[in-house]
Amino acid sequence: MNSYYAATLAVYAGVDIIACIALNLQFGVSGIVNFSFIVFQAAGAYTAAVLSMPPDNAYGGYQTYIGGLQLPFPMPWIGGAVVGGLLAIPVGLVVLRKLRTDYQAISLLVLSVIANSVITNARAFLNGAAGIAQVPGPFSDQVDPLAQSYQLLYVALTVPCVLLVWWVASRIVNSPFGRSLRAMREHEVAATAIGKNPVQLKMTVFIVGGVIAGLSGAILVGYIAVWAPSVWLYPETIILFAAVIVGGRGNNVGAILGALLVPVGFEEATRMMPPTIGGWVPPPNLIPAMQWVAIGLLIIGFLWFRPEGVRPEPRRVFEGAPVREDPERVLKS
Amino acid sequence: MRIQNVSSSPDRALLAASDVYRHFDGVLAVDGVSIEVPKGKITGLIGPNGAGKSTFLAVLAGTLPASGGRIIFDGQDVTRTPAYARARRGLVRTFQLPSEFARLTVLENLLVAGPHNRGDSLWGALLGKSYWIGDERRLVDQARGLLKRFGMTAKESDYAGTMSGGQKRLIEIMRALMLEPRVLLLDEPMSGVHPSIVVEIQHYLQELRTEGLTILMVEHELHLVEELCDSVTVMAQGKVIGTGTMAYLRQQKEIVDAYLVG
Repeated sequence: MNSYYAATLAVYAGVDIIACIALNLQFGVSGIVNFSFIVFQAAGAYTAAVLSMPPDNAYGGYQTYIGGLQLPFPMPWIGGAVVGGLLAIPVGLVVLRKLRTDYQAISLLVLSVIANSVITNARAFLNGAAGIAQVPGPFSDQVDPLAQSYQLLYVALTVPCVLLVWWVASRIVNSPFGRSLRAMREHEVAATAIGKNPVQLKMTVFIVGGVIAGLSGAILVGYIAVWAPSVWLYPETIILFAAVIVGGRGNNVGAILGALLVPVGFEEATRMMPPTIGGWVPPPNLIPAMQWVAIGLLIIGFLWFRPEGVRPEPRRVFEGAPVREDPERVLKS
Repeated sequence: MRIQNVSSSPDRALLAASDVYRHFDGVLAVDGVSIEVPKGKITGLIGPNGAGKSTFLAVLAGTLPASGGRIIFDGQDVTRTPAYARARRGLVRTFQLPSEFARLTVLENLLVAGPHNRGDSLWGALLGKSYWIGDERRLVDQARGLLKRFGMTAKESDYAGTMSGGQKRLIEIMRALMLEPRVLLLDEPMSGVHPSIVVEIQHYLQELRTEGLTILMVEHELHLVEELCDSVTVMAQGKVIGTGTMAYLRQQKEIVDAYLVG
């Protein structure tokens, strides 16, 4: 395998794993149906881009955007994460306090569509539909971004972020706090009746998820060097939902598996399809369209036949519990 | 009209509601209800379907906000206090319909209610197991004590969602007890429960009263109310129509006509 291709796959996998872990915290563990997840990733990406780029009159001024601070690494990545979290505060305060779960999902979906539309049309802000190009990656002034060594460097920068996010998510999920989140997911009114403040729990996990989503966007934009409204349309969130559902809701390992199976594996597999079938040349948009059909079928198929996913949420058995024969996977606490 | 044979004693009432209203888009479900729940007693709340009993219980617990009136718990006005904060102070309710956390084990259902766990916040969680394991062990011991008392030790690692209706009732009562409540609001704890478990629940409630717990209980089974409750309040059409012992209430023609037929 071409090492550029391998590095690209590794970075994409890292970004998708980070995103899926964040979505799993929100949706799988806490039951928040965040249909605007991709907006937080986009916020991180745009922020990292304008923090690392030169002012917009550089390169002949062919694009317009705010910022252009040319901050060194890791400031753009940190900035992306912070903005992802900050954006979660007003969104969460509006959506998560009063609305029922299904209305929250609808509101967040609408927010995703509106945000994309606004950024597309407000050209002075982030260059509108054309998006931002020539985003410098970390250390790209010191290492040639086209060199093989830069590819490896980028993978080396991505991996610690994946590990850090994994560490944070594991600590949350396997703690009494994670148990409160799961209780809220199961029955919010009953959780309130035992002293849990659901608004506080939801806001916390929404902001943590926003920070992680922002980081994933920052990592991605440094690698692909462009960011535009067309890469963060609302269906991108659906792909991540498919990943979490396929992998196993509520399980961080499941989120990783889902990230590898759906956004990475699925899209790469369809890339391998032959361009012609027995001499017949399919229409140019057939394969991308079929990808969406397949993603939809995948979600419905899993929800129908295996709703718990490939790697279900583990049942937690505590030390000293009465012995119980059960083939189900258990997690010793 | 209001019939009463128990003397009002606000100083002994741990929970008191005065002139509480609750309406839903013009429908008055609770219409000026006043009640006192004396400390260390079991108070019954009875009435026909649609009398507003469960709504009133929800208003007391804060699950539904009151449209008017005052609720005093332990000498403090909690009318505007949110439900979770009332629960933390010791005013804890259960639900008419099963409300277990289905994909948590029976033991976890109890642990999640345990107060003062250092791991039950984002920062506590991030600080790691060594930071909160002490609290967790204390709560596991406390929860296992309850499981033993309620005869459910063998079920601790089963998902609560797989339990029977009666066992779910017990889980809910144990979960409420984990909070070390001062007033327990029970909404039809016996509904849909096998008679053998009804006897068990009855026994546990009597034990809890002996230990000094204050209980307000909505219940339809009048013989249970008679056996368990020190005093009973009757509601009909959102209003209190009588308060007293069951024996006393049975002699009141208006109440018999309104509810206690037979």
